[in-house]
Amino acid sequence: MMTKATCLTFGVLPLLAWGLAAAELVPPQQFDKLHALIKPHQDEEAWASIPWRSSLWEARKEAAAKGKPILLWEMDGHPLGCV
Amino acid sequence: MAREDYVPVTGDDWYQRRRDDAEGRFFRKVADQGPRKGAGGSTRQGIYCFTASGKLLAYKNAGQAPEVMRDVLKQALRQWQKLPASERQPGAVQVGEPGKADQRYARTPPPGGLVLNVFTRILDRDEKEGFRKGACQAAWGDMAARDHLWLTEAEWKALIPADPKKGGERPVPAAVVERIARFHLVDNTRGEPPLWRRDQVRSKKMTLTVEAVTPKEVRLRLDGSALLATKADPKEADRGYDVRLLGYVTYDPAARKVTRFDVVAVGDHWGEGTFTRGARPGRAPLGVAFELSAGKSAADTVPPQGAREWAEYMGRNR
Repeated sequence: MMTKATCLTFGVLPLLAWGLAAAELVPPQQFDKLHALIKPHQDEEAWASIPWRSSLWEARKEAAAKGKPILLWEMDGHPLGCV
Repeated sequence: MAREDYVPVTGDDWYQRRRDDAEGRFFRKVADQGPRKGAGGSTRQGIYCFTASGKLLAYKNAGQAPEVMRDVLKQALRQWQKLPASERQPGAVQVGEPGKADQRYARTPPPGGLVLNVFTRILDRDEKEGFRKGACQAAWGDMAARDHLWLTEAEWKALIPADPKKGGERPVPAAVVERIARFHLVDNTRGEPPLWRRDQVRSKKMTLTVEAVTPKEVRLRLDGSALLATKADPKEADRGYDVRLLGYVTYDPAARKVTRFDVVAVGDHWGEGTFTRGARPGRAPLGVAFELSAGKSAADTVPPQGAREWAEYMGRNR
């Protein structure tokens, strides 16, 4: 579902424009771009193409009615809503 | 295969292994057939394939390579095919209503409230663009993490001025500021994050300024900052986040609803928690983005991570 990040790049680049330092203001003209940058990108959404249900009991009823087994993705931290 | 041959479902093991109701007991009955029996209340997380009657067909811990998981699903289907028709035919297994849910672990979005998607991503500074996607050594640590922010109807309505005038400024209600700071300005990019204790919120301020008022909309700008640190002196703190916020909230007075709630928080974070090992060394940029949830998918109803401790999350123990 996910690709591994293997790079190592922590050199602090010359600080320009609005990427200055901690607790600097977010410039309004960069708002939309930054908002989009933080949100999930298309290549991170493959798992979402599966129509995951969120209720085990409802999935159980559906599986019984359709004659299918259940696939449960169970995590500490909800797979659809955390981490 | 997951889509066609199975009924796919997700669950948060923190709730499922605790809840004392039909769903919790059913899950544990399935899990007890596998290697993770929850000894001492420990996790039972993983990928489970099983029948509607509760017979386990296959189990594998999560985080496997795709080809490994494909083999597990195929193996489970072979087990499924070996079962008698009385287990497999549509309608062969009868599943009734689950009865009353264990209210200690029932979480539903507040009626009339707002549900926001919250995304978190590590960033790197970029000479040209300001910021770019961050890079790190932790597996998947460069990807966006997800959570939800829940606001009650009273809370979001309190954000909207009754008589808005351009330039008017008002503080965001304290309970909302605290919820955002403690539970949503966190680094959850490598796993379940430690949430901020109340005394670790060293400073916090959020205001809303009216930018425009028309018959069709009231547009507000949110400005804010927060300093979150495990010690009073952030230089001494082993974990922290020094962050500024900017956002835009639009309210439709005719429809009486919020039509936009976009917020960005950016600042330097540092440190890690028990389940978020592998943080980048030193201080590095972390971004958090908020937006209205479409409310159309199962994912949209998933409770906030911080809502496990419901009273804490809702600020009812202040």
